[in-house]
Amino acid sequence: MLKLIQNEWMKLWSKKATWIMAILLIVILLANAGITKWIESTAPAPEIEWQEMEMMNLASAEDQLQNPDIGPAQQDYYEGQAAIAEYRLANDAAPFKVESLQQQVLDSHMMLSLVTLFTVIVGAGIVASEFSQGTIKMLLTRPVKRWKILTSKYITTMLFALLFAILTFVSIALFSWIFFGVGDGAFLVWNGSEVVEGSYWAEALKLSVLSLASTWMIGTFAFMLGTVFRSSSLAIGVSIFLMFVGVQLVFLLQRFEIVKYYLFTHTDLTQFYTGFMPIPDITMAMSLIVLTVYFLVFMVISYWTFSKRDVTA
Amino acid sequence: MSNEKIVEIRKLSKTIGKKQIIKNLNLDLHKGEITGFLGPNGAGKTTTIRMMVGLMKPTQGDILIGGKSIRTDFEGSIEKVGVIVENPEMYKFMSGYKNLVHFARMHKGVTKARIDEVIQQVGMQNRIKEKVGSYSLGMRQRLGLAQALLNNPEFLILDEPTNGLDPAGIREFRMYLRKVARENDVAIFVSSHLLSEIELLCDRIAIIQNGELIDIKNVNEHQQSRYYIEAKPADQAKQVLEEIGFTVHPHENGYLIDTEPEHIPGAIKLLTAAGVDLYAVQPHRTTLEDQFLEMTGGGEIAQAHTK
Repeated sequence: MLKLIQNEWMKLWSKKATWIMAILLIVILLANAGITKWIESTAPAPEIEWQEMEMMNLASAEDQLQNPDIGPAQQDYYEGQAAIAEYRLANDAAPFKVESLQQQVLDSHMMLSLVTLFTVIVGAGIVASEFSQGTIKMLLTRPVKRWKILTSKYITTMLFALLFAILTFVSIALFSWIFFGVGDGAFLVWNGSEVVEGSYWAEALKLSVLSLASTWMIGTFAFMLGTVFRSSSLAIGVSIFLMFVGVQLVFLLQRFEIVKYYLFTHTDLTQFYTGFMPIPDITMAMSLIVLTVYFLVFMVISYWTFSKRDVTA
Repeated sequence: MSNEKIVEIRKLSKTIGKKQIIKNLNLDLHKGEITGFLGPNGAGKTTTIRMMVGLMKPTQGDILIGGKSIRTDFEGSIEKVGVIVENPEMYKFMSGYKNLVHFARMHKGVTKARIDEVIQQVGMQNRIKEKVGSYSLGMRQRLGLAQALLNNPEFLILDEPTNGLDPAGIREFRMYLRKVARENDVAIFVSSHLLSEIELLCDRIAIIQNGELIDIKNVNEHQQSRYYIEAKPADQAKQVLEEIGFTVHPHENGYLIDTEPEHIPGAIKLLTAAGVDLYAVQPHRTTLEDQFLEMTGGGEIAQAHTK
C-alpha cells in the first residue's frame, strides 16, 4: 500500500498543475497579508479604543443571552464572551490587534476554504484523469486489487489536503510575523467558572483542525463524483457549486426538521466555538455522527462503482 | 516448443445488457507458442482480452492463468502476465523512466536492475529520461512493451499491438515478440485485424465470430496441394483433366485441381497433345485471408482490411 501511495504522490507532483496550486496558495496568502498591512498603514485609523470595543462586545453578548432561541453551545459561547469582556475592562487586559501575528494565526482557519478548493480539484481528478488519459488500463492490469488502488488514491488526496492546510497555517504565521510582528495583548479563555490566559497557538490549531472537517467532507464528495462519473470537470463543478450553495441551503431549509440531517448544517465544526450557528440546537456529537454517515455513504458508492466497473474505454 | 498449458479459458461468457457478446468460449494457450486472435470487428476480440486481464468481469465461466482463477485469485493469476491493451497509454507528464518505476512498484520483486535491463532490451536507454509526451508513437510502443516485460511474464497478451506502427516498426516488433516467445518460453496471445501480420507472426490462430470461437488452426499446416490451370478452349481442357481423373473446380478464368506436384508434367503433356493452348499452370496456395473470408462469410472484414 505504501508503494501505491508513493506512486500516486509521484504522479500528483509530476503534474505542473499541482505546483501551480501550491504557488497560488502562497501568493494569495502573501497578498492577503500585504493588503492588510497596506490598509493599516494608509488608512488614518479612526482609533476606537479597545475599551470601547469591549463594551460593545459585552453589550451584544448580553443581548444574545436574552435571546430565547439560542442553543446550549451558543449559551456557553456568549457567557464566555461576556465574562472575558468584563475581565478585560476590569483588569486592563487588551485584546490582540487584527494586525498582529496572534490574531492572524487565530483567524487562519478561515483561509482553509482555499485548501478545500484545491482538494476538490485534486480529489475530483485523481481517479477521473486515469480514465481520460487511458492509463486506467495500465493501472488495473496489475496484480493489485482495485480497492487497494482506490484506497491509495483517497489517502493521497487527504495527504494533499493535510499538506496544504499545514502550508496555509505556516505561511500565515510567517507572513504575519514579517508584516506585523508579535503584538501586545493577552489571549483569554473562559473555562466555565473563571477567565484565564490561554495559548493562542493551541486555539488556532483547534479551530484549523475543526475546519478541516469541511475540507474532508467536500473533498470526499468530489472524490466520489470523480470516481463515479469519470469526469473531473463535472466533479469539480458540482463540488464547488455545492461548497457555496450548500451552506446557503441551510438557511432555506431552516424551518424543516430535515435540516438536521443535511450535510452542510454540520460541515462547519468551528460553529460550536464561534457562536455563529444557523441551526442552534445541534451538538458536536450529532454533527460528528452525521458527517461519519455521509462519509461512509460516499465511500461505499466510490468503492462499489470502482470495483464493479467494466473498463471499456 | 513445450506443450505446457499456461492459460485455460473455460466456458467464458459475457452478457452486456441483453446482448450476449461472448458465448461459451473455450481456449488453451501453451508456453512458447504465439497464438493469433482473429475476427471481424465487433466479434468480441477486445471483450475477451479485457476479461483475460481483469478489466471486465466474466458473466459466466472462468479464466485460469498458471492454474489460478482470475475470479477468485486475481492478484495471483495476473502476477505473471504482461499486458498491452491497444495503444499503451502512459503518463505523458512523467519521464519514461518514472513510468516504468511506477509500474514496477505494482509488481512484486521488480528491481532497479530489472528496469534497466528492460530498457536495454527495447533499446530506449538514450531517451528514457525524457517526458513521454515528447515520444513518437514508435517510442511509446517500445515503452509499452518495456512495461509489459518488467515482471518477467510467462504470458504476454497484446490487443492490436501494431496499430499505428510503420512497416519497419511492425517488423521490429514482430522479431522481438518471436525472440521473447522462443527464448523465454513465453506464451503470447495477439489480437489483430491485420491478417498478413498474424500470418507472419503466429504459430496458431483462433478465429472468433459473433462471440463464438469458430476455428483454431496451425499456421503453415500442410495444405492440400492445389494447382491452377488456365487453358483454351476451356471446355476441352476440363474434359481432358476429368478424363485423367482429377476433380476440377472452376476458378477465375481456369480450373483448380487437387494434386501432388509429380503429376503435373504428365497432365501438361496430355493437355498439349489434345491441342489445348496452355496459358498458366501454377501452384495455388489459399492465403489466410481467403480462408478467413471463407469461414466468416466475408462482409465485415473488408472494412477491417481498409483500416
